[in-house]
Amino acid sequence: MLYRLIAVILAVAGVVTAIGTASAHPHVWVTMHSDFLYSPDGSVTAVRHTWTFDDMFSAFATMGFPKTDGTFTRETLQPLATVNVDSLKDFDYFTYAKVDGKRVKDAFNEPTSDYWLDYDPKTTLLTLHFTLPFKVPVKAKSLQIEVYDPTFFIDFAMAKQDPVTLVGAPAQCAVATEKPPDGNFPTTLRLDHALVTSEANIGMGASFANRITVTCP
Amino acid sequence: MSARNRVLGLCHCLLPTAAAVLLLTSVAGSAWAQFGTLGGMHPAPATGIFGWLLAQQAFFYQALAGLIRQAKSNGSAYWALMGISFVYGVFHAAGPGHGKAVISSYLLANEETWRRGVTLSFASAVLQSLTAITIVAVAAVLIGGTAQLMGNAVRTIETASYLLIIIIGARMLWVKGKSFRAAVRKIREEFDPVPTAAAANEAQCHHEHLHVGHSHPGHSSAAHDKHDHDENVHADCTAQAHHHAHEDEEEGILPWAHAHSPEPEQLAGPGGWQRGFSAIIAVGMRPCSGAIIVLVFALAQGLFWAGIASTFVMGLGTAITVGSIASLAVGAKSLAKRIATTRSGYGALVLRGLEVGAACLVMLVGIGLLTGYLASERMGFF
Repeated sequence: MLYRLIAVILAVAGVVTAIGTASAHPHVWVTMHSDFLYSPDGSVTAVRHTWTFDDMFSAFATMGFPKTDGTFTRETLQPLATVNVDSLKDFDYFTYAKVDGKRVKDAFNEPTSDYWLDYDPKTTLLTLHFTLPFKVPVKAKSLQIEVYDPTFFIDFAMAKQDPVTLVGAPAQCAVATEKPPDGNFPTTLRLDHALVTSEANIGMGASFANRITVTCP
Repeated sequence: MSARNRVLGLCHCLLPTAAAVLLLTSVAGSAWAQFGTLGGMHPAPATGIFGWLLAQQAFFYQALAGLIRQAKSNGSAYWALMGISFVYGVFHAAGPGHGKAVISSYLLANEETWRRGVTLSFASAVLQSLTAITIVAVAAVLIGGTAQLMGNAVRTIETASYLLIIIIGARMLWVKGKSFRAAVRKIREEFDPVPTAAAANEAQCHHEHLHVGHSHPGHSSAAHDKHDHDENVHADCTAQAHHHAHEDEEEGILPWAHAHSPEPEQLAGPGGWQRGFSAIIAVGMRPCSGAIIVLVFALAQGLFWAGIASTFVMGLGTAITVGSIASLAVGAKSLAKRIATTRSGYGALVLRGLEVGAACLVMLVGIGLLTGYLASERMGFF
């Protein structure tokens, strides 16, 4: 009887852990393109993001805004862009920098004031444009930018074509991109992995990170 | 109690205690799992069951969007939409949601029947669907508000819901803490059966009687608290009175064994519903972000009614998952209770300890959510 109790308690613990640990799944999908902006001396001064949201979130975000000639104008959406950019600050703009393999905390200043949203009435998709200036321009052999949501509410994916452009980079610089595995999702069920990673949910969005690495030898 | 019995008793006490602690930490952990970034933490890739569960949720969520798009031109997509909404609800309830942690802890801490556990889950899921629909209907249809406005509304509701969870936890802790203290007292008595201890307890009983007499008559609104309070004190003192007659019995510290204690069947009656009601509100008033986004999208496609139907079907799926977890909690509790009645005082102590732990957990989850230490589902970035 006692051992049955223990067994039942353990079973409940197992189920609750198993189900509970599978935390947030994405509610927002972003297709991203990033430009690395170089200064004449060859250092990276800023990262310019272009994030296109999925149609469901685009409909949600534009709710209550008036349409002009069947579309939302840039001016109409400017207050929304301000709110977006302001609140992105709380999430570190989902953008993390590594210089020569070392993570740089708070690498970026607030976005420059030339951010905006545009809306494509054909695809009904909303796109956010903003530029993140580095606090200290980066001149390094290797600069890696990771884009992901640690809570995995937003699923970032790089654009299929030309996800990254180096603007004004020295000729010898090369860019490499690393996408998260399997189109962002593991499709196979592996018990052994589950046991190994059962406590790994915190910050698990990191495992879906999109990595952009620029090397200038 | 002989030395051998004492050792046996300790063993019997420690094992279920360890299991109970594990259970509580797992419930707590699953709530904590929603906690966002830990500075500089680099977890292993999410593969396996968790990655798979996430993949299913994301897949069904995107399928929902696709079917709403299709339903505009193709009537048969409605049926698929309902089917996918249901499956999404089942999977999604397995995802974020302090609701599960609160409901299962609540059930662990209280004497609840299986039927009540399941009803609690269904009622909170229905309420959750209703709040999502109401928010979108009012914000989008009636006043033409923005997503930011809805986000603010959700945050306000959220805060109220977290406060309510803290209050429920605190109240349970108060009631269960007293039972725990009574159990500890009983054990101490067994180890130290000197007359002076009994005398001291007797004195305390009288003191508590006085305390009840002084503090409660004015509080007519707190009739509930008074009831609980009276009962516990009464139980303790009756145990005290009967102690010498029933040396090895533990009626006094097991409230359900006492004639004055409410039986589960009684709790399921009209009075019991009032207690469950607060839990339903606390858990159900915070709408699911996914439901709100789906509803707004359906509205934008001119298919608001399909969105409403989908939300309710989603709620049904959610209720089934939460109800299953709730059933497990009720099952574990009733088994624990049965074992406790066949054991010495330690069984009751473990049980009371489990209840206190569960009550603490409810309160901690509420505090964690309120202070933002525990993250609940976001509404985008507004």
